[in-house]
Amino acid sequence: MQTARKINDSEVAMAFTVKDIIQALNGEVLSGEDKIDTVVKFVGAADMMSDILAMAKPGQLVLTGYTYPQVIRTAMVTELLGLIVVRGKNIPPETIELARQNSFLLIRTKQYMYASCGKLYMMGLRGIDERQY
Amino acid sequence: MNDSISLAKYASLFQDIKAGDIMKTNVVVLPADKKISHAKEMMKIKKISGIPVVDENKKLIGIISTEDIINALEFNRINEPIRNMMTRNVIRFHVNDPLVEIVEKFETYKFGRFPVVDDDNRIRGIISREDIMHGILEKFNLIYIHDTKRSLTLNTEYSFITGERLKMEEAAFTYEIDSNDINAAGTGAALLKKYLAGKKFDAEITRRVGIATYEAETNVVIHSKGRGHIHCFIDEDRIMVRVVDDGVGIEDLDKAMKEGYSTAPDYVRELGFGAGMGIPNMKRFSDKLVILSEKNVGTQVEMIFYLPSQTIPLM
Repeated sequence: MQTARKINDSEVAMAFTVKDIIQALNGEVLSGEDKIDTVVKFVGAADMMSDILAMAKPGQLVLTGYTYPQVIRTAMVTELLGLIVVRGKNIPPETIELARQNSFLLIRTKQYMYASCGKLYMMGLRGIDERQY
Repeated sequence: MNDSISLAKYASLFQDIKAGDIMKTNVVVLPADKKISHAKEMMKIKKISGIPVVDENKKLIGIISTEDIINALEFNRINEPIRNMMTRNVIRFHVNDPLVEIVEKFETYKFGRFPVVDDDNRIRGIISREDIMHGILEKFNLIYIHDTKRSLTLNTEYSFITGERLKMEEAAFTYEIDSNDINAAGTGAALLKKYLAGKKFDAEITRRVGIATYEAETNVVIHSKGRGHIHCFIDEDRIMVRVVDDGVGIEDLDKAMKEGYSTAPDYVRELGFGAGMGIPNMKRFSDKLVILSEKNVGTQVEMIFYLPSQTIPLM
């Protein structure tokens, strides 16, 4: 079997769409359904808004445990592809509403943060620090 | 306000700047066998008050100043070679001299400019007083003004960075920040971003403005306990964003500049803020940043973002 490490970065970039990730994490789409065929280039995880603002790159998919409406604004201002809220958290209706108003991709999974990251990494998805281009 | 005190303060804040980082490299030099009248013309054309004199290997052997020229004129020696009148004992910097030493020499010798040499005493550049300020601004994109001028400027409408007069009513974009609603924090930045995107500004610039403004706006909501505004001014070469409030002010700007330092209360941290990245992020995403703050008077943040394919000198 081919290990994740051997997969070429550009192949990875071509390989996975939002839909693949939803399947891997058994996630539910709360907003931004039109994005599910988008190719996911790289992934990250953060709970601090300022860390997202500082480090995130446009087009990145970010896992978070944060559910207040600011997370949507932070994600939009940094031009993320979307957010995955982990641990099946209760998301305030304002957050979901704000996401829907902007058709911003918001996914929820029951998986915990660690397992979610691990699964996506195993698939071959990488963070911005390991991207080659 | 005494110039030397403020210069010394900058020096301690920016210790790792070296002479080589801030010197001008397009330095005018003259060989020692040229006539003094030649140096006089050169100074007139270039509007400079001193020219380093070098030998055939570009090694610094002297400097000829306006004072030397006056002496030459007085004694009718203007057609003699420069070497006869030049000052031989030149105070110079080495390219690796730290900013602290540079500032000290400026204070000690009171000259307008100093040549910079390498290990072989070859001239590499020249530093004037303005270069120190420019160097700091260029390298750190930031200036911290903490003196009596602060209280004067807090209520004026001049740009801290460019000095130009700003009419708030002529701002391209204005937003009033509601500092009582933490859940609304970031709305102004999002609107500004949308506005800039609508004006077809470069996507990367738009993103940087959005993020830096978002941090500034969030700070007003979290910390200021006052009223705040976002103003955006657009010029052909740059976007300027000012985020002002009349709140509590920043008590220790030196600390606030450091990543990880925060005075945010726990409830703010629970909201995902207060990581001490606000001002560092503003600095990271803007080209120039100035923060003026005074306790119980307010805080003014001014950020400049240069539009692409422009390399604009600061002043």
